[in-house]
Amino acid sequence: MSALKSFKRWFLDPQFSRKKQFLRSLDIFKDLRDRDLGHLVAALHSRSYREGEVIFVEGDIGRALFVLESGEVVLTRSVAGKEPVVLYRLKPGDFFGEMALLESLPRSATATATEKTRLHLLYKSKLDALLHAEPRIGVSIMSHLARMLSARLRRLSADPKLLSSKND
Amino acid sequence: MTDERHAFPFLTAFVVTGVGLYAFYRVHEALTPFLLAAAFAYVLNPVVSYFEARGLRRSHLVVAGYALALALSLVAYAGLKSMILSETELFQSRAPGYLSQVQKLVYAQQVQLAKKLPLPPKITEHALESALSGALHALQELPAHFFALLPLLAHALLVPFIGFFFLLDAPDGVTAAIQILPSRYVEQAIHLLSEIDSALGNYLRGILIVAAAITLISFVSLVIMGIDNAIVIAVLSGASSFVPYLGAIVGALVGGGMAFYQFGTLSAAMKVVALFVGIRLADEIFLQPVIAKHSVHLHPMVFLLALVLGGEMFGFIGLVFAIPAACILKALVSVAWSWYSSERGLALNLADGAGVPYT
Repeated sequence: MSALKSFKRWFLDPQFSRKKQFLRSLDIFKDLRDRDLGHLVAALHSRSYREGEVIFVEGDIGRALFVLESGEVVLTRSVAGKEPVVLYRLKPGDFFGEMALLESLPRSATATATEKTRLHLLYKSKLDALLHAEPRIGVSIMSHLARMLSARLRRLSADPKLLSSKND
Repeated sequence: MTDERHAFPFLTAFVVTGVGLYAFYRVHEALTPFLLAAAFAYVLNPVVSYFEARGLRRSHLVVAGYALALALSLVAYAGLKSMILSETELFQSRAPGYLSQVQKLVYAQQVQLAKKLPLPPKITEHALESALSGALHALQELPAHFFALLPLLAHALLVPFIGFFFLLDAPDGVTAAIQILPSRYVEQAIHLLSEIDSALGNYLRGILIVAAAITLISFVSLVIMGIDNAIVIAVLSGASSFVPYLGAIVGALVGGGMAFYQFGTLSAAMKVVALFVGIRLADEIFLQPVIAKHSVHLHPMVFLLALVLGGEMFGFIGLVFAIPAACILKALVSVAWSWYSSERGLALNLADGAGVPYT
């Protein structure tokens, strides 16, 4: 029995298991089965960013969702004639740029790595391919995105300050 | 909206691609085994990825896959060895007979045509003779062309050997390339790679599956029908099926001719023709819709043009890579247009109902 276990361990990729474990800990992928997570890991691209490296710039066309594995990313928005406003600081496990999975529109903020950062990128084209090949994965991710968008929209419409500032 | 600094450097990309293509043109002969190996690895990669997605180590999978393929090849060779040898001997012994039979048939038709055409007999005879002798000469030259391809068989060992390393290390190479790219262009570059991969990969794997299916089905059917040289006819039909309709035409002509020669009846030839028409219809009804669903569509004329240009510019390697290159070109144009339209705001469409308040 132990021989079988050590044979299995010898055949299994520890890095792959680590990535899968990390994805499983995220809210957006928590409903996926073990096998689905395997397909997702295969569809992801990973890249490391140096401190201060710009990931994308406000106005760039979005193509991918970014999942932050380690480090920190800051989202900023430019204001005419002023210093850029910090919108949010992302911590490991957070994801951003999710709108690119729905439509190819300009990014609404600039993302910059504030320290050595490792990101996983999921592309719309890859997600589309997964939607066809493994619909369960696509449906799960899309339904989570829809719930998240609904929550944000509900918060926005319930907050009179946000609405009035928008209308001013 | 984005300013000029944010736009992808199309001009730089085109210049770099142009210089790369010219450099490739200069050294393409030396690169032949590497290109074939890259294509070999690219076609096989989904099989490795399928098991890799189950958490298995890539290195172990590739080694195990090669060992399995070697074992299967040995078993297949042992099983088919006697059949291949007997078919080769049969073909060698009957080839002069086929040729003289064709010559007889041609000259008989020539005489009949000369009688029917309203032209002076000398002119008709001369015109037909020159046309037919050209065709016969080309037919006689076929074995020489075939033997000219034999040096390429040296690649039969080299390609899987180099392909092994491509299969093993290609993902690490892609990761390294992504890491080197300026971070601003990572998104767009991988988007381009993904688009090309999804269009080209599905297409290539699709036509390879079709070719393999046609070869297998026609081989089994021809053996059942008792047609000689079933392997040769099936391989010819399968290999030429890369060009739409050509596989069925080649199979029907060569197979039908063989059946006519072997049995001496038109009905035997018609049975073979019906077989290849049936295979073509089954391909059209069952396989093509699945393949065309997620891949680039190329018009048959584009197919032929790509093959002619590829063959003219790069010889054999050009023939092999003409269709994939046409697919890549089409995917590049489509992605470039999608970029251009989104960068310039031409494709900004709000979803229907965006103006309705949240309720």
